[in-house]
Formats: sequence, C-alpha cells, structure tokens
Amino acid sequence: MEQLIQELKEHLIEELNLEEITPEDIDAEAPLFGEGLGLDSIDALEIILILEKYYGVKLANSAEAKPVFYSVKTLAEYISANRK
Amino acid sequence: MRCFIERVVTNHDVTTDIKVLIPDAGLRRRMSRVIKSAVTTAIETVGGVEGIASLDGIITATGWGCLADSERFLRNVIVDKEQLLNPTPFIQSTFNTVGGQIALLGHNHCYNVTYVNRSHSFEDALLDAMMRAEDGDSEHMLLGAFDEETPSQRRIMERMGLFRKVACGEGAMFAIVGAKRNERSIAEVSTLAFPAENLSHEKVVAEYATDERTHVIYNNYAKYGLYPTSSAQCFAEAVKLVAEGTPEVVIYNEYFGATPTVIVVRCLS
Amino acid sequence: MAIVVTGVGVVSALGVGVERNLASLREGASGISAHPTLLKTGHRLPVGELAMCNEELHELLAISPREHLSRTALLGILAVREALEGVDRSNPKRIGLVSSTSVGGMDLTEHFFERFIEDEGAGRLRDARMHDCAASTDVIAKYCGIEGYRTTLSTACSSAANAIIIGAKLLKHNIVDMVVVGGSDALSAFTLNGFKSLMILDEKPCRPFDETRAGLNLGEGAGYIVLQREEDASNYICHLAGYANRNDAHHQTASSAEGDGAYMAMADAVAMAGIEPNAVDYINAHGTGTPNNDASESAAFVRLFGQSVPPFSSTKGYTGHTLAAAGGIEAVFSVMALKHGYRYANHNFSEPIAAYNLKPVTQFEEGREVKCVLSNSFGFGGNCSSILFTR
Repeated sequence: MEQLIQELKEHLIEELNLEEITPEDIDAEAPLFGEGLGLDSIDALEIILILEKYYGVKLANSAEAKPVFYSVKTLAEYISANRK
Repeated sequence: MRCFIERVVTNHDVTTDIKVLIPDAGLRRRMSRVIKSAVTTAIETVGGVEGIASLDGIITATGWGCLADSERFLRNVIVDKEQLLNPTPFIQSTFNTVGGQIALLGHNHCYNVTYVNRSHSFEDALLDAMMRAEDGDSEHMLLGAFDEETPSQRRIMERMGLFRKVACGEGAMFAIVGAKRNERSIAEVSTLAFPAENLSHEKVVAEYATDERTHVIYNNYAKYGLYPTSSAQCFAEAVKLVAEGTPEVVIYNEYFGATPTVIVVRCLS
Repeated sequence: MAIVVTGVGVVSALGVGVERNLASLREGASGISAHPTLLKTGHRLPVGELAMCNEELHELLAISPREHLSRTALLGILAVREALEGVDRSNPKRIGLVSSTSVGGMDLTEHFFERFIEDEGAGRLRDARMHDCAASTDVIAKYCGIEGYRTTLSTACSSAANAIIIGAKLLKHNIVDMVVVGGSDALSAFTLNGFKSLMILDEKPCRPFDETRAGLNLGEGAGYIVLQREEDASNYICHLAGYANRNDAHHQTASSAEGDGAYMAMADAVAMAGIEPNAVDYINAHGTGTPNNDASESAAFVRLFGQSVPPFSSTKGYTGHTLAAAGGIEAVFSVMALKHGYRYANHNFSEPIAAYNLKPVTQFEEGREVKCVLSNSFGFGGNCSSILFTR
C-alpha cells in the first residue's frame, strides 16, 4: 500500500502538472479537492485517466467517484481492491 | 469614432513573477506557453488581478489561437487511437481561453469576445472597442492580441513558402482602452481603416498623415516576425512613441494575401 | 436605430434549408443518428451528422471538388446562400459578413496531421490551408458575393450569437448596409474526442432538461441570418430587439450553479428591448443535455422569470449541439417561431429536473401568438449570450 501511495503521488504530480510539489508534500489522508491540494473537476477527469491508464481501474459512475476521490489514500484503497 | 489608450504592455515588457500575476495555481499549471504569455501580459496591463474587476469589456484577438494545445490534443487523438485522452489540451485549445481566463481570474462578468480573423483580428477587436466606446457600452476596456509559433506550424508554413523573406514570429500585447479622455490617457486612436487595396508607403502618408512629423510604421514584419497579430506589437510601439512626443503614428499592416489595415495613433494635445 | 431580420438560412442534421429543417421539427423527426457514418472515428456515439459527404456538398453548391473546401466552409456557404436568396440586394451598397466557427477547417487538418506526425514532409498542404477560422469566412464571402467588411469570431458555443451582436453594431455604426451573421461548424474527430474526454457526451440520444439527462450529442451545421437597418429594408421578417454578452466567470468549462452569466445575459437582452421578462413568449434554450448546463440554465430561468417561466425548449435533441453554429441555427428557428407562431418540442423529454420542476414544450405548437422570442447560447470560457427577437 505504501508503495502504491508513493507511486500515485508521483503520477498526480506528473499528470496534473503540480508546480513545486514533491510526493512528501502531499498528505495521503488530506482532501484532494477544495482544500488540501485544491484540485477541481478537470483534475478529477485526469485522475480517472490515471486510474485507467496505470492500473486498469474503471470508475463506474460519478456517484461512486466522490468517496474514492477523497484523498490519495482512498484512491489507493480503491485501486488495490479493484485492480486486475 | 475614436478611443483613448491608457496603457500598453507587450509580452516583452512583463517583468512581474507569473505567480504574482496569476495567483491561482490551478489555472496556472494548465496553461500552455501562449496562454501564460497572453494572460500575464493582460494582468500586467491592468496592474494585477485586482485590476480586472474594474474592466467593462474584455476583447481579445488571435489569428492562430492556442496552437500548441490544439496540436497536442490532435496528436493524442491520432497516436492514442481516440482512447484515454487527457481533456486539458482540448479545453485550453479554445480560441476564447485567454479572454475567459482573464474574466475568471478577476470574477468579471462583463462583455467578453474573441476575434479570430487572421491579420485583421487585432484591428477588428479595436473596431469593436471603438464602437463600444462611442455607444457608451464600455468605458474601460482591456483589448489584446496574441499568437504563438510552434515547430509544426513553422514547418507547415515553410512548406507553403511563407517565410522566404521574413521569419515567423509570435507575441502578445494588451492595452487599456478608455471611452473618454482622462488623466491616465496617453494616446488617442483617431482612425481605423480597412482599405480595399494595398497602398504604397507614399500613398499611406498622403492619405493618413496629418502632420509633417508623422511617423509611419509600414509592414514591420522584419522587426516583429510574420504572424497574424503582429500589428498589435506595432500598435504598442506607436502608443509608446506618441507618449514620448511623436505627434502622430500611422500603422500600415498588409499581411500576405489580405487587404491592408491602417491605424492612426495621435498624441493628446 | 431598429435592426431587422430580412433573411434566414440553415443546414443541420435535419437537412439542407429552412423548410426541410422546419418540416422535421414539425414531424418530431430527430436528425440524431446512432453513430457517425461519414466522420472518421472509432466512437459509436450518437451524433447529428448531415448525411452528405464533402464531395456531394461541393456538387450541390456547384463548386469544383478541386477547390477542396473544408466542411465548415461548405456548410456555411449553403446556409449563407439561402439566407441571401430572398433578400433584395439591389439597394444595400456594402454587404458584410460576421461569421464564427470553433473548429474551422479541422476536418481537413485531421487528414493532414495523420501523415504529418509520421513525416514532416508529408501530408497534402491543401489539407492544411483552411485550418484557421478565418479561412471559412473568406471562402463563404467569396462564394456568396459578399465584398464588404467581414470578420470572424470564436467564443466556443456562444460564437454565432456574438456574431449577431457584432453585426447589429456594424449596422448601427454605418460600417455596412446589410450584414450576414451566424456560424458554421463541421463534426470533427477533434471535437468528438474533446467532448468525450470531458465525459459530457451521452451514449444515448440527448435529453435536454430531463431529470435523466446524461450529456450532449454533437452535431454539425450552419445557421445565418441577414440583418439590415429597418429604414433600409423593403420588407422584413422580425426585429432584433435585444442582445447581451456576459461572462459567467465561474469555471473554464462548467456553468455556475446559480446561472450567473446566463441570468445576466437574458436580463440585459430583455432590458435592452425595453420589455418586461413576462413579455417573452418562447425561449429557445441553450439546453445541451449536460447535467450542468441544464441545471444552471434552469436556475437562471427561475431567477429572471420567477414562477412563470415562459414556454421554452431546446432543439438540440433534433440537431445535436452544433457548437459555434448553434446560436445561428437557433436564431433561424427563433425567427421562424415568430413568423409562423411556432414553439418547438423538446425532444426526448419525460421527467422534469427535480430541483426546478420546469417542463419544456413537448409537442410542436403552431398558430400561437408568438411576439417575442429569446435565444440563449452559452460556451466554454464562461461566454453567455442572449438574443431577443420581436415582431
């Protein structure tokens, strides 16, 4: 799980083009949207792509997405539960 | 019809750090080179994001639009065979992205439009500003133009044989346009014309110059490069010249294949 | 100074020409097909595609296929020629064109780029030459005999509405004596994939203003109207009485929950016409079918009209969302609604959005007293424009 969290942080920084942020700066349990990293709905679309591209995980619907997208940790948990 | 210019800034004049000019990291990190260049120039022109709120018109012009983002998305569509595409370059490729981002950064709900009419884009935007000024629709507008060159675009245009005499170019320019003369006014746009045929340098002087000290900027592509809105750089040069004492500057712009445009900038007596 | 509409022209998935489009709207026959047949794409998503390839369009227009015009230009020429058909062109000295597009010649660029990215010396240059937006404007002017001032706008999906606004201004300032205004956009793999990547395309036919709506269907087409000063026109169809352009300033692609930009645009257009909001007899809504747009637009309706929202509908269930052309196509529909007393049905509607409980027009209506029509067009970048036509 720790390794997955680290990897996810790196993907987020790379794909979302997060400026001057290192994996260490991201609190795995802090909210990704609004506060915390301050991501928005366009980032959400890119995170859906990260899940699919790197882990083959597809999100069924947006209602399901909200709790999954809460933090890096919730994302990692969802990936490990659903990855093929 | 006329309007008053209060400030002109080109991308070369921007010295303030981008993080100060565009405090919203979310917007900033998605911006391509041309969007960064245009938006920072715009914000420098209004003196920081706080300056956006007082605008009552945001009029932008671009001949090519956000080419790098358009190219990036199109490339992804082809290379990734229409699968798992990142939406960001598509969103950013829209021609009104710059105008929209300025409005967004300043939470400004005012009139906002983008002209995409090749070498007339900037002049058409200026005409809009002048019509709004005369009608009393807007008093304090932001008018700007931007274009970027990309390796692919340069290669394609080279193949078309367009850069045999002059090099390609790019740039951004923004100006504050006022409907009325005030203490911040530095120049006046007294004439904007769209002649039906090309004019020689002598003819431009004969038809548009009203002072023997009038300076004429005649097709300055050698200085600014060949791109659709390079006349906006000439406009900034003209306003600066007038602010420094030249009584009048006539800008004549003739882009290959297109009918010319003429802008006359005058000092305030 | 009063501005009047003296001509209309349209082409959409419903077919070529105003009569063909109105007949389909009357019959309730949608132009949305299960998937594209002409557009080169692997996506099997519903689209509003005109069932004529570029070669057929060249032929229909009697333009040599060797001219190799972009689809956006071809659609535009069709609509502009129709718009000018019945108009008396003997009097106006200067005829102008304010056109708009969001994809320009992208259909050709896509062919070009496929070769170009493999080899920079490859790809036919004639496929790249119409890429920019103004190329279609120039070609439309050329093939429709328009020699006066012309310009091109691109404000995403509100483009054609803004072209109408600029056209009116040019008449008021005596820069033109007659002006053709509107927009044209062809389907392209670029836009289809773009909207797909934003996850706002419905895999089923779109259902604007319905509780179960799940996105838009892309369409293609062109819509143009001819504007003149009232004193110069020997006869006219209706007045262009109000217009406004405002910005939502909320998000790059999404509309605000309260519909700020939409509300301001509609309120300003109504105010400019000097009428009360309740004088509006029909609204041709932007109504794309995305959860976000329709909720935001509904919120704006309630803000402006309170409990008595005028009869409204989105015609995008018939045409698909034609992007820059939408405001032009829907202006034509709005003008015809005034002329004939029509109100168009909102295709595929069954259940109102719970939060607003607004029910659009569901059956095509004719012979109504329609004296004032509002047409909405909203786009990315927060651009919101509303146009108001009166008899």
